[in-house]
Amino acid sequence: MNLDAELELWREQWQASSEAPVLTDLRKRVARQSLYMRIVLIAEILVTLVIGGGTMLLAMRNPQPAMLILAAATWLFITAAWIFGLSNRKAAWSPAAATNSAFLDISIRRCRANLRSVTFGAILYAVEMTFCLSWIHHESGSLSSTLIGVIALVTLIFATVLIWYRRKKRFDLSYLLNVHRDLTAE
Amino acid sequence: MNLSTAASFEAADSESTIEEQLNRLLTENGPALLRLASSYTNTSSDRDDLFQDIAIALWKGLPRFRGECSERTFLFRVAHNRAIDFLRRHRAPTSPIDAESPIRDARPNPETGLAQEQQGERLRRAIHRLPLPYRQVITLTLEEMSYSEIAAILGVTETNVGVRLNRARQLLRQLLEKSK
Repeated sequence: MNLDAELELWREQWQASSEAPVLTDLRKRVARQSLYMRIVLIAEILVTLVIGGGTMLLAMRNPQPAMLILAAATWLFITAAWIFGLSNRKAAWSPAAATNSAFLDISIRRCRANLRSVTFGAILYAVEMTFCLSWIHHESGSLSSTLIGVIALVTLIFATVLIWYRRKKRFDLSYLLNVHRDLTAE
Repeated sequence: MNLSTAASFEAADSESTIEEQLNRLLTENGPALLRLASSYTNTSSDRDDLFQDIAIALWKGLPRFRGECSERTFLFRVAHNRAIDFLRRHRAPTSPIDAESPIRDARPNPETGLAQEQQGERLRRAIHRLPLPYRQVITLTLEEMSYSEIAAILGVTETNVGVRLNRARQLLRQLLEKSK
C-alpha cells in the first residue's frame, strides 16, 4: 500500500470516533440547585402555614396553658428555622457574574450552606423531639411504647438521610474545592 | 461608578471573553481532544477525567496565550502537557510492544457490517500500545498536524518528528498485522 494512502486510511479510521466530550456543566448544576432551593423555600412556607397556623388555631379554640405553650414553642422553632435559613442562604441565591468562576464560587457557597443546615437540622430535631416528648408526657402522664417506637423509627430514618446527605455534600465540596485549587494554583 | 467597580466590570468582561474563547475551542476541537485523551488512558472514566483536566488547564492558560503560535498548537500543547502529567500521577501503564502478544479484537466476525468500526477500534488499541514518544507523534499526525506544529507542541525538532513518525508507522503496521 502507498505510504500516504496508508496514513490517510488510518486518519479516517482514527477520526471516525468523533464522540463529543461532556464537561461537568457548572451552570446546569447551579440552575438545578436554584430550582431545589426554590422548592425548599415553598416547602418551608407551607410548613409554617400548616403547622404554625394549626397550633395557633388550636390554642385559640382551646386557650389552655398547655396549648398556649405548644403554640409558642412551635412558633419559636419556626422562627429559629427561618432566621437560620435566611442567613444561611444569604448570598447563595445567584452568582456574582455569568462566569464559570462565579458559578464555581456559588456552588462552593451552597455546598457549605447545605453542610451547615445538616448540623442545624440535627440540633433542631433533637430540641423539638425533647420538647414534644416532654409535652406529651406532661399532658398524658406517660409515653406509650408505640409512640416511642414510632419516634425511634422516625429518628433512625432522619439520621440515615442526614448522614447520607452530609456525605454527598462533603464529596461535592471536595470536588469543587479541587477544581478551585486547580484554577488558582500557579 | 467608582474605580474598583469599573475594574471589577472589566475583569468580568475579560473573563467572559476567555470563556467564550474556551467554549469555541472546546466545541471545535472537543472530539480531537477526546481521542487524544483516550490514547493516554485505559478507561472511559479516566479519559473523561483527563479531558476535564485539559479543559481546566486551558481555562487557566488562555489568559496567558499571546498568539505566539496558532490556537490549535497551543491547545494541543496544553493537552499533551496535561496528559503527561496525568500519566505521572496515575502511573497509567504504557503497554510495551510485545511480539508474542498480538492485539486481539474482542468483537465477533470482522466480515460483518461493523468491519469499519472494528478496524477503527483495532487501530486505537494498536496506537495505545505504542511507546509514548511514538504515540504522541502518530496521534498528532492523525489529527492532521504538520511536522512544524508537532515539533512546536512536543518541543522537539522537525527532523526528530520525522524519525519518530517513521518508526511509529513501522511499529503500528506490525501491530496491526499481528492483530489480523
